[in-house]
Amino acid sequence: MDSFEILLEGSAREHGHLCPGQVVGVRMAMLGCERIGLNDPRNSLEEIKKLIVYVEIDRCATDAISYVTGAKLGRRSLKFIDNGIMAATFVNLETDIAVRIASTETSRDLAAKYAPAIIGKGQQQLEGYKRMPEHEMFVIQSVKVDIPIHDMPGPTRFKAVCEQCRTVVRDKKEVFLNGRILCRTCGLGGYYTVPE
Amino acid sequence: MNNISPKIRIEDAVGLRLAHDITEVRPGEYKGPSFRKGHKVRNEDLCHLMRLGKRHLYQLDTDQNKIHEDEAVLELAAALAGPGVTFGRTPHEGKLQLKAAYDGLLKVKCEPLIDFNMIPDVMCASMHNNTPVKKDACLAGTRAIPLVIDRAVLDSAVLTARTHAPVFSVKLFNPLKSKLIITGNEIYDGLIEDRFESVVGDKLGAYGLTLSESVILPDDEARIAKQIQTYLEDGTELIITTGGMSVDPDDVTRESIRRAGADPMFYSAAVLPGAMFLLAYKGNIPIVGMPACGLFHPITIFDLILPRLLAGEKPDNRDLARLAPGGLCLNCPTCHFPNCSFGKSG
Repeated sequence: MDSFEILLEGSAREHGHLCPGQVVGVRMAMLGCERIGLNDPRNSLEEIKKLIVYVEIDRCATDAISYVTGAKLGRRSLKFIDNGIMAATFVNLETDIAVRIASTETSRDLAAKYAPAIIGKGQQQLEGYKRMPEHEMFVIQSVKVDIPIHDMPGPTRFKAVCEQCRTVVRDKKEVFLNGRILCRTCGLGGYYTVPE
Repeated sequence: MNNISPKIRIEDAVGLRLAHDITEVRPGEYKGPSFRKGHKVRNEDLCHLMRLGKRHLYQLDTDQNKIHEDEAVLELAAALAGPGVTFGRTPHEGKLQLKAAYDGLLKVKCEPLIDFNMIPDVMCASMHNNTPVKKDACLAGTRAIPLVIDRAVLDSAVLTARTHAPVFSVKLFNPLKSKLIITGNEIYDGLIEDRFESVVGDKLGAYGLTLSESVILPDDEARIAKQIQTYLEDGTELIITTGGMSVDPDDVTRESIRRAGADPMFYSAAVLPGAMFLLAYKGNIPIVGMPACGLFHPITIFDLILPRLLAGEKPDNRDLARLAPGGLCLNCPTCHFPNCSFGKSG
């Protein structure tokens, strides 16, 4: 795996700017890969096939995690769990070893301790997060993730047709409501409305 | 037992990759795989394997008409799992668990499941039909029995499951707009305090629902019928009445429901507690008559029928009769429902 500095530079470029979230995400991803026994999944086809990453927030750090690990939504190696928590879980599919790493809330204030000479909270966090020890920056847990087969990368295994709108629903995301197989929009309501 | 060959003496097995998980049982302490399929046997493993009673290990036959248990069980699970049912990516000891993809009502097609289990070399055991389940709950377990299974046998099992698909499914619960009519002169007159509202509210709450409204009425057939009609016309999707289901002259709720136009109406059920339960429909709107046993017994027939109504089903008198085997609550000192025989009629 590339050095922290090189990864941070690339991550910031991909994300669009350098921010504290990039530092958190890069460190989180490097640590996650190390803990599950992967060296450089972003640059190794063999390793990327062994990796699934669950991110629990859709903020800056998520882009950094995706950049460093090479995990992507479109590859189904990156999963978004909308918890609003700065945390990610790294799963090695080959060994079933998984680790969840969460950013500590205290690290926000501790940044001043590690970058006292820096002016401005954002800049202080950016530099402080680079220097902060892992145990103050993160809570690290060994976890078990039972990934259902419909969430695995690879060719589509399951397809259903919504009995209301006829849309094809892939990967077991259909629901069974009142005896009918429906897409989630028809069964549970959508996130959008169609103007009259 | 298996159509595999050859057997390798344990002393000669160093370097062999295991053909299957090897299970270890330490009573009261551990049951699970001590060695996983694909593990390369090392010198230091031999004593452990011998302690587990292994004197020989199998070397897999690569005959293309023989399917390894781990591949076979993925095909079996895919054929059995209908909407709302999923399963893991990795078999453990040759088994896969089917799990609920979301909260809902488990439906099991019992006869096809029996047909499936009549096929040699495959099995599937499940929870009972009509069990309310939470997301990720284990619903069933399936496996191919031998280490390798004939392709033709596997195909037959898959075909049986697919022909009757879905053998397992989970129905979503509808968030029905529910209203409660509490009947009884003694409550209406303030002689005793109502407790039905909290009982019913708690039972609906278990499914994420709240009572939209509740009203207390005297044992007045016309007034109760009028209230039911009002609810039928205002968009209520589930009407629950309590009390007045018995045989006393003042028990008029049943007649009130009839007077409100309910048809069909099923009175009495093969369940104790709950013999005087009433289930009626006006169009697609269910009207439930909860007898007074609901105040005394924490679990009654109401708990068996409510999830089915929420799942959009319209149980009838045959369904109520079908509850007979398993319909007897044993009134255990500590209630373990739903982990008991009550309501498990198959």
